[in-house]
Amino acid sequence: MKLSTALNRENRGIVATVLGIVILLPLGASIVGFVFSGRSEVPDVFLERADPRWETCVQAPEYMRFYHMDFLKEVREDVVRRGIKGGVTLSGCGDCHRNRNQFCDRCHDAASVILDCYGCHFYPETDAERVAGEG
Amino acid sequence: MDRRDFIRRSGTLLAGASGALSLPVLSSCTSEVVDAQSLLAGKRMGMVIDLTKCPSDCTACLDACRHENNVAFHDDARWDVHWIRKVNIRPKEEGEGHEEKTVLLMCNHCDDPPCAQVCPVQATYKREDGIVLVDHHRCIGCRYCMIACPYNARFFNYKESEEWPNKDYPKRSHGVAESCNFCAHLVDQGKQPACVQACREAGAGALTFGDLNDSQSEIAGLVAESSVKRIREDWGTEPKVYYIGL
Repeated sequence: MKLSTALNRENRGIVATVLGIVILLPLGASIVGFVFSGRSEVPDVFLERADPRWETCVQAPEYMRFYHMDFLKEVREDVVRRGIKGGVTLSGCGDCHRNRNQFCDRCHDAASVILDCYGCHFYPETDAERVAGEG
Repeated sequence: MDRRDFIRRSGTLLAGASGALSLPVLSSCTSEVVDAQSLLAGKRMGMVIDLTKCPSDCTACLDACRHENNVAFHDDARWDVHWIRKVNIRPKEEGEGHEEKTVLLMCNHCDDPPCAQVCPVQATYKREDGIVLVDHHRCIGCRYCMIACPYNARFFNYKESEEWPNKDYPKRSHGVAESCNFCAHLVDQGKQPACVQACREAGAGALTFGDLNDSQSEIAGLVAESSVKRIREDWGTEPKVYYIGL
């Protein structure tokens, strides 16, 4: 078949459609893949279960999952402004949830919420850092 | 019901609603919680610095403070932070009674602190026991307090310190003001501030810390019996750092 026959008036539309699909399909797939690839990386929030029976947790995991930021802010105000000490501390959290990367950073990275606690407060990111801090 | 109650209750409700996981909501720490506010009321913490016992070449208190409180030191006068400083005062005239003096300077923990008055976000505040503190979470770094402080006791963190000698105590991020807080975290544990401990260990014993309102305390006796001076009492800021031999 000659090229001029292939591109005659009747089948010109079909050829254009086929070519369009061939070109656009990978492009579209990459866009869709890019948009949805983030979702598959959302970590399971209950992966970090230090105490399976939650007996030593300060609050229930369901509560902490949604309200830990409010809870920690209240604790902070209690300690810093109202002088109520001896309750929940960040280092106390670290006694069970020993790795900050597993406990805080993984979800915060996925949700793009920047934590600025650890610029000033010490909470080991890795186990090696914990050993170095204790030594 | 205040905000805190509301958050607590809504959380408990949520935990109940999640059904399948019935779990004991335990607060393991509540039994040890101390309400320091009531313990602090009525106290008036202060310090007496005996300059006659303070050797001019000793830096024990400075080093201890830097180590305990992670005070930033970059070895550059533009950025260094000092909670406690040692300055040499040269006399204008020569002769008897006009010797060069070494004086320790620090936050005077005024009863009427200008730094706390000007703070627009109330980050600097005076605790019940008279210690002037900075809540670094609230500080926006406007540096009004540095201008207001007549004793030049306030410093700004232009750069974040990379060293972190005492991991139990937070360091400061870039962009907040700070000053001596009489090691409030140690005072709450019933200990003496780091500089006072270091001065004792160095054998000088020039620093005394305690409750000025408690007539039985060592510091109240010192203030009552010795001839003590405060820096620029005429300003009316009522500082609580007393000097012997100033």
